[in-house]
Amino acid sequence: MKLFKNLYQYRELLKSNVKKEIRGKYKGSFLGVLWSFVNPLLQVLVYAIVFPYIMRVKTDNYLVFLIIGIVPWTFFTYVLNQGMITVRMNSGIIKKVYFPREILPISVATSGLVNFSISCIIILLFCIFGGVGISWHLVFLPVIALLQYVLQLGLTLGLCAINIYIKDTEYIVQFLMNMLFYGTPILYAATLFPERIRWILYLNPMAQIINAYRDIFLYHQIPDIYGLLYLVGVSIIVFIIGLVIFRKLEKGFAEEV
Amino acid sequence: MKEVNEYAIRTKNLYKDFKLNSDKPGTLKEKLLFFRRNKVEKVHILKDIDLDIKKGETVALIGTNGSGKSTLLKLMTKIIYPTKGKIEVNGKLTSLLELGAGFHPDFTGRENIYFNASIFGLTAKEIDKRIPEIIEFSELGELIDAPVRTYSSGMYMRLAFSVAINVDAEILLIDEILAVGDQHFQEKCFSKLHELKEAGKTIVIVSHDMNSVKDLCDRAVWIYEGRIKLDGKVDKVIDEYLKVCR
Repeated sequence: MKLFKNLYQYRELLKSNVKKEIRGKYKGSFLGVLWSFVNPLLQVLVYAIVFPYIMRVKTDNYLVFLIIGIVPWTFFTYVLNQGMITVRMNSGIIKKVYFPREILPISVATSGLVNFSISCIIILLFCIFGGVGISWHLVFLPVIALLQYVLQLGLTLGLCAINIYIKDTEYIVQFLMNMLFYGTPILYAATLFPERIRWILYLNPMAQIINAYRDIFLYHQIPDIYGLLYLVGVSIIVFIIGLVIFRKLEKGFAEEV
Repeated sequence: MKEVNEYAIRTKNLYKDFKLNSDKPGTLKEKLLFFRRNKVEKVHILKDIDLDIKKGETVALIGTNGSGKSTLLKLMTKIIYPTKGKIEVNGKLTSLLELGAGFHPDFTGRENIYFNASIFGLTAKEIDKRIPEIIEFSELGELIDAPVRTYSSGMYMRLAFSVAINVDAEILLIDEILAVGDQHFQEKCFSKLHELKEAGKTIVIVSHDMNSVKDLCDRAVWIYEGRIKLDGKVDKVIDEYLKVCR
């Protein structure tokens, strides 16, 4: 509860920090903030060429299928990559002023959410002009996005705190994320796996998230309710663990960074 | 309850150690390989500090370099935490520990006022209300809309000080930064501090400028090698301190 009280009192700081995160990353480049949208599109372009033509993967509406996978994944990697280093990047103010430290990872996670919300417009454009269309199932979008936000916030809270004490965390997580990219049905459909072992894939919360997005954007159906419940559980547990780790470690930030 | 609220800051058996590591084993490899060597040496910066500061008191912390004054201030602001013992702070606190802490060099003075004041927990509305006063006090005039990196250190300090005294804190911690300003601004700062003192704010100041300390503070605490050596009326403590220094 201390978390919400702090957030309310320091809402102005949170707001200006989120703005700084969004503007700051691409500061000095010509396209500026636009890069956060151009980047995933370029990535999609690469996969859209590589997989159907070189690897001969056949999926209907592969371009739309890819976009729906890549954009949430970019949200995920952005929050983790930026979130992990946020405490170190802000060592200057951490050493000199007191403010609730959790503002930093929360700002990153929130700026990621803002970026993602805008990117959803791109997904919608692809849906409309890609011949898939849209449906009322989009009402689930905020729910799924919120679950993803909470999950990522939990991961970031825990990891950015650990990263201050053990700098290797950053690189280990980077590697794990690279692996997870292929362990998540982004480039392929989950149905590629035989039913017997598919549950292993579904243990990965990101697989559940991507599937849910595909359900509402592409297949126009209600996301799997058990999948969503599983996500709720995992997100909350991850968030609580992350927050506990952060609370334990934050007291040493000023001395360790 | 009432007894507790009489005090702005209370410390009890406060200890603070710092790790003394010349070569920091930061990576996992080094942690694993040299885990036996990881028993870093510790320096005791503060030892058994018992200090009660009542609301409305103006206290100077004096002592030689490295005696632990600034560490004590940092503990009060909750930037760092005690190794042992307790510290209790009642009331809203603002600190001016280092020049332009949390200033963004590329942002303008005005943007930095917003950023800095929001770090102290103010909302946009509250900042809007105070901004004319802050700008006026800083005497920066039109330069307020120039990036902070173009400022001189005196201007930096003027801006930082103007923000800090305008956030309506009940407790103000100041560490040795007033020395940067010119004569005119220093005098202005001290008269403002006198004003705040009259208004019943608690002020804790670290300074080597004994004359201004004598003028402003009622009480002085002499810290010597991490312990409180003398605590009492400002004149008496400073006289004793100067005797040793000379």
